[in-house]
Amino acid sequence: MIGKEEAAMLSLVALLAKGHVLLEDVPGVGKTMLVKTLAKSLDCDFKRIQFTPDLLPSDVTGVSIYNPKSMEFEFRPGPILGNIVLADEINRTSPKTQSALLEGMEETSITVDGNTVPLSDPFFVMATQNPIEYEGTYPLPEAQLDRFLIKMKMGYPSAKQEMEMLSRTSNGHPIEGISAVLTRDELVDLQKEVLEVYVDRTVNRYIIDLVTGTRTHDGVYLGVSPRGSIALMKAAKAYAFIHDRDYVVPDDVQFMAPYVLSHRMILTSEARFEGQTAEAIIDSLLSSTSIPVKRNISE
Amino acid sequence: MMEERQSFIYKLILYITGFLLFCEWMRPMEQISDTNDVRVFFIYATFCFFISFLQVPWYLSIPLKGLGLAFIIDGLYIAERIFSRDWFSVLYEQVLFNIQMIQSQEWWQMTPLFRSLLFLILLWLMSYLLYYWFVVARRMFFFVVLTLIYVTVVDTFTIFDGKWAIVRTFILGMVALGLSSFAKVMEQESISFKGLQKAQVWALPLLAIILFSSAAAYASPKLDPQWPDPVPYIESAAGGAGPGGSGSGTVQKVGYGEDDSRLGGSFIQDDTPMFRATADGERYWRIESKDTYTGKGWEDTLEEPVTSMDPQNISYELFTDNVEVEEQTVMIEMSRQASFQKLVYPYGLSSLVRFPNDYELLVHENTGEMDTVKGDSPAKVNEFVANYEYPSFEYNQLREAGDDDPQEIRDQYLQLPDGLPNRVRNLAAQIVEAEDNRYDRAKAIESYFSSNGFEYSTTEVPVPDENEDYVDQFLFESQLGYCDNFSTSMVVMLRSEGIPARWVKGFTGGERIDTRETELSDGLQNVYQVTSGNAHSWVEVYFPEIGWVPFEPTKGFTNNTDFYTDVETEEGEDPSAAPDSETPEDQMGNPQQMEEEESSDAAGAAGSSDQRYTWLWVLLSAILVVAIILYFTRYRWMTALLIRKYRKNKDEETYEKAYHYLLKVLDHKGFKRKPEQTLREFAISVDQHYQSNDMRRLTNHYERVIYRNEAQSTHWPKVTELWENLIKKTLS
Repeated sequence: MIGKEEAAMLSLVALLAKGHVLLEDVPGVGKTMLVKTLAKSLDCDFKRIQFTPDLLPSDVTGVSIYNPKSMEFEFRPGPILGNIVLADEINRTSPKTQSALLEGMEETSITVDGNTVPLSDPFFVMATQNPIEYEGTYPLPEAQLDRFLIKMKMGYPSAKQEMEMLSRTSNGHPIEGISAVLTRDELVDLQKEVLEVYVDRTVNRYIIDLVTGTRTHDGVYLGVSPRGSIALMKAAKAYAFIHDRDYVVPDDVQFMAPYVLSHRMILTSEARFEGQTAEAIIDSLLSSTSIPVKRNISE
Repeated sequence: MMEERQSFIYKLILYITGFLLFCEWMRPMEQISDTNDVRVFFIYATFCFFISFLQVPWYLSIPLKGLGLAFIIDGLYIAERIFSRDWFSVLYEQVLFNIQMIQSQEWWQMTPLFRSLLFLILLWLMSYLLYYWFVVARRMFFFVVLTLIYVTVVDTFTIFDGKWAIVRTFILGMVALGLSSFAKVMEQESISFKGLQKAQVWALPLLAIILFSSAAAYASPKLDPQWPDPVPYIESAAGGAGPGGSGSGTVQKVGYGEDDSRLGGSFIQDDTPMFRATADGERYWRIESKDTYTGKGWEDTLEEPVTSMDPQNISYELFTDNVEVEEQTVMIEMSRQASFQKLVYPYGLSSLVRFPNDYELLVHENTGEMDTVKGDSPAKVNEFVANYEYPSFEYNQLREAGDDDPQEIRDQYLQLPDGLPNRVRNLAAQIVEAEDNRYDRAKAIESYFSSNGFEYSTTEVPVPDENEDYVDQFLFESQLGYCDNFSTSMVVMLRSEGIPARWVKGFTGGERIDTRETELSDGLQNVYQVTSGNAHSWVEVYFPEIGWVPFEPTKGFTNNTDFYTDVETEEGEDPSAAPDSETPEDQMGNPQQMEEEESSDAAGAAGSSDQRYTWLWVLLSAILVVAIILYFTRYRWMTALLIRKYRKNKDEETYEKAYHYLLKVLDHKGFKRKPEQTLREFAISVDQHYQSNDMRRLTNHYERVIYRNEAQSTHWPKVTELWENLIKKTLS
């Protein structure tokens, strides 16, 4: 992925932390390509749902169909039962269908026609959405946004990167050449190892300081919930793990905070009118919260 | 890893260049200082540097270096068996004496032993410093530049020829700097030294460049000096009064000396006690006179005859019986430091009452020099009591003495050098023009100096050049000098006017330190302390039928010879003589006038309390200075203390403290960690500045302590080393 190292790394963080990713950007910058590449490089079951306004919840979860031969209803699994699910343009569909996916992400199983079907493990959703200002979209409700561990933007590639991209794609798409580097079991093991990453009380204290900051900030109507704190810790653990460390340092938290926290807070309308963004508020919090550099901080 | 990257050979080369550069500092010493043989110092320096390089623990290195020092001091200065009781007592006395001298700021008194001792200690310290500079901190640029400056300055201002020293310093400097930047680059790029060491190719480009550039520099044509020699310019800018010519006009110590053949040059004050005199009043203490003026100084052509005299009856007379005298007694006690083996005596000496029997008294009849001899060799008489006839000269008698000098006096005491400039004679003639008798003429010349812009000074006094006359220089050019200038000039001018005169040496009266009753006199007597600083020269003028009368031309001094006007016989005497009645000696401190002096004593007491306050101020300001120095160097000495402390304690708390202390030191040096800056970010910015990765490595360990809650005791030596390196780098 040319020029998308950071996006790729963040996806990996979410994957290892058993979280999900929301990619928000204009069409054509490589959102889908990112997910496809990730799925191909893992030896996993990849499913794709293209959300359209007429998509039904059962198109996501699957349906039970009557089988005349066996005289029984037979469950036909929907795309949500894959390992890696690309939910493309999630805000183009109706809230009902959206929540079918989002609830599945929160629980570890789905219920269809009274049958409880467990979701597969690993289960990783990567949803993409066009920026909400675009026509014909159903914005995701704020309360449901925090089902995603990470929300990120892709952004346009630089001119140099785009040149490189053009020359590489002129003879067939390079994605064809990708082979898996990790099996499903290995991925599950890695996810377990991430859980083992040590987070000291001093670092937790820093996370809490940051999160509390969002709750007391003037421009914020609704701050980050405790679920946000947990999410930040999980993300920091995975980030530390990727960097070959078995403990979290404040740098990890600092790096992950904008991606983990910005979609978990609602700005006041004044702040929005002033052109403030959640990312800017997180940045200002990062540069005003002091880092714990001594042990034994009293709680 | 530090040890791997800094190979032994690399360290050794660097250290040796440092040592050789240091040798450049010692090399000129033999020529520019009074050090006779610097080889000993070279050997000791090599020894110290070697031990420092081995980095042996302090409990070995200090005794080793100390032993070396002791052996050198023993070999050079102390005759006693080394480490015997006497040996230590000699050393102790020397050190004690020198410390006293330092306290009284009499630096020139310091003995060679002590100076060598200090220098050896300096070498010792330099060995540490250079090891640190060159091997640990790798900051040799400053030292290289300093060495170059030193060599050029020494070459310019002294007789030392620094041609090869410059070349050597240059090459050594390039080797050191090249090597160190080489090592820095390697560390920056994290290249291991091990692989390179085998190939040894790495040193070739460096060597080639150094050889090429030095060869090119040596072979290339050199411009002539672009500036004129700066030395004369600087000397003239510094007041134009620097000793010119052959350079013999160095600064001397004031005091009584034998050789007066070359007068001039500056003096340092010296208060070494010479003797104590218990007398009725302040007297001039005569030693000898000299007769021949050479144009540069005085020589004695009238040493003979020497007569052995009975101390009980000394027949050496400076004046005739026509002079009114008063019998007085004086006791002289020589101090330990006084070394002359002759008598100091007051005018009119008649007999020595308390004089050791085994001493012989040899009197030079012309000069008045009285040698004291014990057995066959001159020896000092520590204490004696003398009777003398204190003269009082009567003005009219002097005025009427006339010019009828005996031929032998004329022969001996009218001598003048052939080269004496005429303007000296003319000046003398001009001064005495209006006077009609010998006394008034002499007085006119004596007082000429006080009113014609002459100044008394012991410093910046010139030495006459090869073709310059000492008196002429003083009278017409410098007009600045001390007793020798004034007295010599007066004698020369008197002689040019045909008045027999001679130049006398001795001591002035000294400082009155006590008044007490003695068995020598009926009333009270004063005790005078005479020091080296009281060494003096004055003038004796011959008056027929009277004898030799002392005159005091030196500005700021008063003649304490008694002159008087005989009112009974000479009523209606010229009133102009009245102010001439000089200083009746009593005023100078006759015991009878003690009451008057009480008030001045009180003033003295006030002065001493002032002095106490002065001392208090000195003490306070010293404390303040020390406090300021301590404050500004607080990181340095605190670091030194903490390094020792942290080496001992190996717990996490210590680590945390040490790390935070390092942050503080960095903050002090301008690297402030912002509170929201993570340790890693900070470490990276620090490392970028110092072009190393020590801070990152140290921070990694520290992170494990605080964010991983992990003990780092296994890494302790590494961590300590990193920490020390960083702190030293920061402070250097």
